[in-house]
Amino acid sequence: MIQSLANWILSFDILAGMGNPVAWGLSLFVVSALIFVFVALNAIVLVYIERKVSAFMQVRLGPMRVGKFGSLQTVADALKLLQKEDIIPQMADKILFVIGPWVILVASVVTFAAIPFSDTLLAANMNIGLFYVVSISSIVVLGIVMAGWASNNKWSLYGAMRSAAQIISYEIPVGITLIAVVAVVGSLNLQTIVIAQGGTGNLFHWIPIPLPNWFVFHDPFLFLAAFIYLTGATAEINRTPFDIPESESELVAGFMTEFSGLRWALFFLSEYANATLVAFLVSIIFLGGWQSPFSTYGGAQVGFSILTLLAIMWTVFVKIKAKRLSIFPVGLSLVITLCAWLFPGFALWLASPGLFWMLLKVASIIFLLMWFRWTFPRLRVDQLMYVSWKVILPISLINLMGVAVWMWLTGEIQF
Amino acid sequence: MSYFNNIVQAISTLIDGMKVTMGYFVRPREYVTLQYPDEVWPVPSRNIGVGELDSYNTIRSKLTVDINDCIGCKACERACPVDCITIDAFRGGPDEDLGTTSNGTKIKLLVTDFTIDMSECMYCDLCVPPCPEDCIVMTPDYQFISNDNLKTDVTPEQRWRDRSLLIYQFSKVSEEERQRRKAEAKAAAAEKAAIMAAKKIAAEKAVAEAAEVNAEPAASASSSGEATETTSLASDSDPQVPSTAPEASNPETKVSYAIPLETIESSAPAEGDSDTPIAEPTESQNSTEDIEEKESENG
Repeated sequence: MIQSLANWILSFDILAGMGNPVAWGLSLFVVSALIFVFVALNAIVLVYIERKVSAFMQVRLGPMRVGKFGSLQTVADALKLLQKEDIIPQMADKILFVIGPWVILVASVVTFAAIPFSDTLLAANMNIGLFYVVSISSIVVLGIVMAGWASNNKWSLYGAMRSAAQIISYEIPVGITLIAVVAVVGSLNLQTIVIAQGGTGNLFHWIPIPLPNWFVFHDPFLFLAAFIYLTGATAEINRTPFDIPESESELVAGFMTEFSGLRWALFFLSEYANATLVAFLVSIIFLGGWQSPFSTYGGAQVGFSILTLLAIMWTVFVKIKAKRLSIFPVGLSLVITLCAWLFPGFALWLASPGLFWMLLKVASIIFLLMWFRWTFPRLRVDQLMYVSWKVILPISLINLMGVAVWMWLTGEIQF
Repeated sequence: MSYFNNIVQAISTLIDGMKVTMGYFVRPREYVTLQYPDEVWPVPSRNIGVGELDSYNTIRSKLTVDINDCIGCKACERACPVDCITIDAFRGGPDEDLGTTSNGTKIKLLVTDFTIDMSECMYCDLCVPPCPEDCIVMTPDYQFISNDNLKTDVTPEQRWRDRSLLIYQFSKVSEEERQRRKAEAKAAAAEKAAIMAAKKIAAEKAVAEAAEVNAEPAASASSSGEATETTSLASDSDPQVPSTAPEASNPETKVSYAIPLETIESSAPAEGDSDTPIAEPTESQNSTEDIEEKESENG
């Protein structure tokens, strides 16, 4: 994307004189800014959605007063955080205290460079993309330890130590799970992994249920691997139920106890950037990335018809029960379906954008993470280690072997 | 084997929990949240109690008075244990019709100021039963803060110390009218006090004249004894009473009429070299001159 942007800039006669390095640097800056803006806006939106989701799951209303249905609540929160006093504790290690949050944020944001948003929307098409993402996101633990140590606070230090132990423990099963996928594709390039999931196949290769050729449906071992990866990644990004580094009932706020204002906002930003990154990785590796699921079912028309049916059913069963009938979703889906059947080209255009499917999958995974967060109780420290070393690690090792055996049986690889 | 049982049990219970939360997420909304300033819990207006406590158990959140029914009897002011009620009431003029209360009682006093300080009120309800017109009541209104009288030019600290938002003033008349009534009442009170003072002095004078007849020897004894100096007891600044002594302009003598005669010595400063008081007060100019003569003789 950077190179193509640079080529596009140089294609103008007026700008061609600036030379390749300048154009390349300019495109680099633009792309980085785009990624950062995406991460920041994403955090603002996700905080609002998370508060709303948690409220609905607890029969509450959530933020309601700022904007329509509280939609500007997080904007107001962000403005407040930016205005707050910049406090550095007197006994803190000032240098580490200042750069700790930035290390975490940079490590979270930089990983998005390798994420393919669509078939063309990719900042850097590197052939070690998966390895790059996993290794860079591990730098987060460095920032957490820096922040926790520099705060000179027992809770911060406990949180940082727990975080380090947890991330290092869960890196191993996560890495092994990813190796299983890499063994199937034969490449570490994320774009290649997505392209390998195109087309239609049977469920688990033999069961005659037509499904998109995604790796969740590739074989039972990868199906299990998807859940193992989701669990391990949840632990890696310190989200509930694995949020012992910042468990507020034990450690006040863990490694971010002493932080406030902008620095604290950076922690929050990186937290949601990490959650989004995990959702992206799950989508790319197991759910076919930007591949449309409707290529399977005889085109987009059938897909939209199914969506309309679902919307009608949802209206009938949920909305009538609530005695608040709204024809908007049904009407919208009916109109779209009608257009899809009347104009096949429109249907193709509507179903093709990879960005839409990518973001839809990411949103689903993020909702799943929120669902986890507001359902599960937090694990104890020893339980956390038990789950990692005694449950997930053996299962992922068996999984890796199972994937290899499966591929030998189905003839995907020959020895 | 328990290892696998643990895993299976963990997964099944997690799925159970997720079902519960998703059930609440998609369920028709039965929120427990109340959007407070927009909607409030219903408050029973009166009588939340049962049985014989029925009339007593009202919700006591805010004390209010129906000022149009107040007759200014000050029964509530006297009943209040913490003195949070202050009433200013003035008698109307002879030709002034102050109307009647809703009970039909004729109002005789004009209530110009009925102040309830809710920052001192302890919600004891003791002021309500004494009211003859049932015009002071406890209401269930618990929202004291409103934007109506919110002062925007004060800092939060000032507002925190400022109780003025909790002081409720009721009045039948305007502020100017109130001030005018106050001034009138003050003037009337001063006039009354003056008349009372004049009456008192006249009475004392009568007593003194009666005593002078009997106490001639005492007066002569005082004048023939050691020289003493005293102030004239009859002196007063009131122009209605003619001053009989040159010391009448002395302000300290103003109050002397109200003080028992035995304590005159302490209140009146001795100007001479002797502190010995005279036995009897003398009213006539002659006796005073006598004393002065004696003093000059002594000096």
